[in-house]
Amino acid sequence: MKRAESVISWYGELTTRRQLLKRGALLLTPGMFWLMLFLVLPGLVLVAVSVVTRGAYGQLEWVFTLENYKRLAGFTLFGWTPDYLMILWRSVVVALFTTLVSVILSYPLCFFIAGRPERSRYMWLTLVIIPFWTNMVIRAYAWFLILSPELPFARLAAMFGFISDGAPLYPNAFAVYLGMVSMFLPFVTLPLYASVERLDWSLVEAAQDLYASRIRVFTQAILPQTMPGLSVGIILTFVPAMGMFVVPDLLGGAKYMLVGNLIQQQFGASRDWPFGAAISMGLMVLTMIGLQIYRRKGKEIEVI
Amino acid sequence: MRKIGLLVLVLVLFGGVVASAEELRVYTWSEYMDEEKMPADFEEKFGIKVRLDIYENNEEMVAKLQAGGASQYDIIVPSDYIMPVLINQQLIQPLDHAKLPNLKNLKPLFREASYDPGNKYSVAYQWGTVGLMYRKDKISDAAAQSWSVLFEADKQAGAFWLIDSVREMIGIALVYQGKDFNSTNPKDLKAAADLLVAAKRTKNCMGFKPGVGGKNDVVAGTAVAAIVYNGDAIQSVTEEPDKLGFVIPSEGSEIWYDSMCIPSKAPNPDAAHKWINWLLEPEVGAELSNYNQYATPNAAAEAFITPEDLKNPGIYPTPAIMKKLHFTKDLGKDNRIMDEAWTRAKSH
Amino acid sequence: MRRQHPLIVAISYLTMVFLYLPLAGVAVFSVNAARRGMVWKGFTLKWYLKLFENDWILEAAWNTLLLAVVSTVIATILGTILAIAMDRYPWRSRTSSFLDIILHIPVIIPDIILAASLVVAFGLLRLASSIFEPGLFNMIIGHITFQIAFVALVVRSRLVAIGREVEEAARDLFATNGYLLRKVMLPLLMPGIIAGAMLAFTLSLDDFVISFFTAGPDSQTLPLFIFAAVRRGVTPQIHALSTLIMLVTVVLVVLTERFTRHR
Repeated sequence: MKRAESVISWYGELTTRRQLLKRGALLLTPGMFWLMLFLVLPGLVLVAVSVVTRGAYGQLEWVFTLENYKRLAGFTLFGWTPDYLMILWRSVVVALFTTLVSVILSYPLCFFIAGRPERSRYMWLTLVIIPFWTNMVIRAYAWFLILSPELPFARLAAMFGFISDGAPLYPNAFAVYLGMVSMFLPFVTLPLYASVERLDWSLVEAAQDLYASRIRVFTQAILPQTMPGLSVGIILTFVPAMGMFVVPDLLGGAKYMLVGNLIQQQFGASRDWPFGAAISMGLMVLTMIGLQIYRRKGKEIEVI
Repeated sequence: MRKIGLLVLVLVLFGGVVASAEELRVYTWSEYMDEEKMPADFEEKFGIKVRLDIYENNEEMVAKLQAGGASQYDIIVPSDYIMPVLINQQLIQPLDHAKLPNLKNLKPLFREASYDPGNKYSVAYQWGTVGLMYRKDKISDAAAQSWSVLFEADKQAGAFWLIDSVREMIGIALVYQGKDFNSTNPKDLKAAADLLVAAKRTKNCMGFKPGVGGKNDVVAGTAVAAIVYNGDAIQSVTEEPDKLGFVIPSEGSEIWYDSMCIPSKAPNPDAAHKWINWLLEPEVGAELSNYNQYATPNAAAEAFITPEDLKNPGIYPTPAIMKKLHFTKDLGKDNRIMDEAWTRAKSH
Repeated sequence: MRRQHPLIVAISYLTMVFLYLPLAGVAVFSVNAARRGMVWKGFTLKWYLKLFENDWILEAAWNTLLLAVVSTVIATILGTILAIAMDRYPWRSRTSSFLDIILHIPVIIPDIILAASLVVAFGLLRLASSIFEPGLFNMIIGHITFQIAFVALVVRSRLVAIGREVEEAARDLFATNGYLLRKVMLPLLMPGIIAGAMLAFTLSLDDFVISFFTAGPDSQTLPLFIFAAVRRGVTPQIHALSTLIMLVTVVLVVLTERFTRHR
């Protein structure tokens, strides 16, 4: 009798594997069908569109071409330019910076909350969750007020000559970084807290008793234990941060363009879907590379 | 619970269909009409509710139409040069002149417009120019006569905005460098794009904003200059003539006219024709221009325009100024290189 | 309670201030009588009152809510079934990792790529049927697509936590499949389903990018409305609207906390 036909006990039910899989496939169909139709298929279509031509009036002309990728690599009609690669690079840098600063600020915050008496912990967590659930458009434009010309921050910058007198402290790179960190901080704090809460402080004390330096205490005793939460936090921050477009658009304008804005521009006023698709593919590749590097690094740290 | 969800879904889908029968969907530029009074007046006269949707530049509007909007709007207001795109891509439908008796009110110039002779697809709406709006306390009237007050770092007087519209901005950069407003020469375009990038990078430039946004910032004082459409600028300048100014710099600028068109799959073309015909009425046309301070293409309406506006060179340019103004031309196949120059200017 | 290093305490407070300063600014200026600028001209609620006269805002609010409710309901159902199918059946490891990857895609990729692919896909689908015009229908589809993944992941972790014993015990007692499902599985699974649904609901309310790329003329949502408005120039009315949304968020968060804590 083939393996699939032999009777097994699955979650207490006496049945054959084949019957189970038949039922399972039935249950699997609605959800998977949806994901195939509206997730995987459009993704493949996007790849297809990235290698077709854009017509003179912004329409799609189904003629195969690698020009969009060439343009992404810099070979535009105006000669070679590193513009687009710069934008991709800039997006990676901004995402890395945002993630790093968010992690650096999250650890103290998590330790702080974990050290609070049980009752007030929920209050503090709620205080972190509220901005997390607040709409990102609101959180981004709210910086307009803080960075407006009348407030001391903008005045200080004008005094030092970074911006002109009476101008607000946006749009520029600084505002974008500010907005990004404030946006993604809770994304790291919340998962990290889940790990910090379960931290076994006896290990930390043991390390301290052995006269380990502060840094070693952190890397040997704290970091490995908080790895699960930290991993989730980093992935949830780095990947969306690379494709962000609301924050760079509102706080950076055209002065600090990131890949999210560039893609949006192609699907908007530039009406160049093929080029937009090619840029999206570029972003996709970067995301995959980032995730791979992260997985390798993650394994290394666990080995230590 | 599943049933309720399905019911709601069905209602939503049908709701969309029902709504369009009594509704006119107008897709137009921001602050281009009295957004509360005009729709209300139309509704009062014809019993059709008006829904306004706003865009800030032609390319954005065409992108929306190409992404499916051609069956969702009844009226669009494209500029002259974008008409060939709309016609070529079959995004607009021919007009039924039988439903437009007021067409005779248009000035002859606008009945034989280059892009659409005989008003087959379009009816002129307003015409105007693009220029420099500035704060008089920071920029003198003499300095404002040249675009160098934006493009040259040592002449910049404070924070300013460039205009977020490809043909106007690149055209201005081209004429500033002595080239043709409509040049498609890659060298010219590269130089123009590089000029814009250099200007954008100065600490005084805040980036690109649509005309209306730039105007609002100059009025609010957060910017000392911006490139703005003349009507938008003059609306504010007439309120504070000693603080704000508007001028068309000597190197040259754009003259444009906007028209009303009906998208090819408009839900309610009948109501759309009524809207167009109503706007061609002398009093309505004049009310429009008196509000938005643009120039009217309607000969019959001129009788009702405020006399000061007719004499204002900012609204009706003198022949001397007209010489410096250029119409934007459609570039056909070369639209591509223009778009690439723009992407370059914005992303560098 | 351990003694906490003053530096940690200080940084934590500063971080919280950093998070809340902009939001507090919006709330403060929503009751400022001044129309422009940073001067304080007195307390007023007029901007809030004006909100309720603004048809566009009311319509955007309605659209936002409708979109969130419809997409959450459908996504929760589809996601739950998917989670059960993935966890409770003996798939070969290759199949199950394949399914796993597909499930993780919406979570892992930047949502602008998701949005771009939807725009392109709908563009082509539109040639087949005009139901795929930009609008609420497309937006619902887009939202469900990423919500399914989140719901399925949450429900699946709950399934894993429940384990085998309960089901096996119930079957030992000769429970039928239907009975098992209704009286045993579903109640146990409910917290996970509800958590998944609340997550999906919030993600939809909050969504900007997918909505931005798939919206039509009569399907403006509140985030889209605010975005378009602040690009033209911030007004106290927008501050009032934002503050209201923040208050609703606070209520939602507190309710969820109460609910999950209770369970």
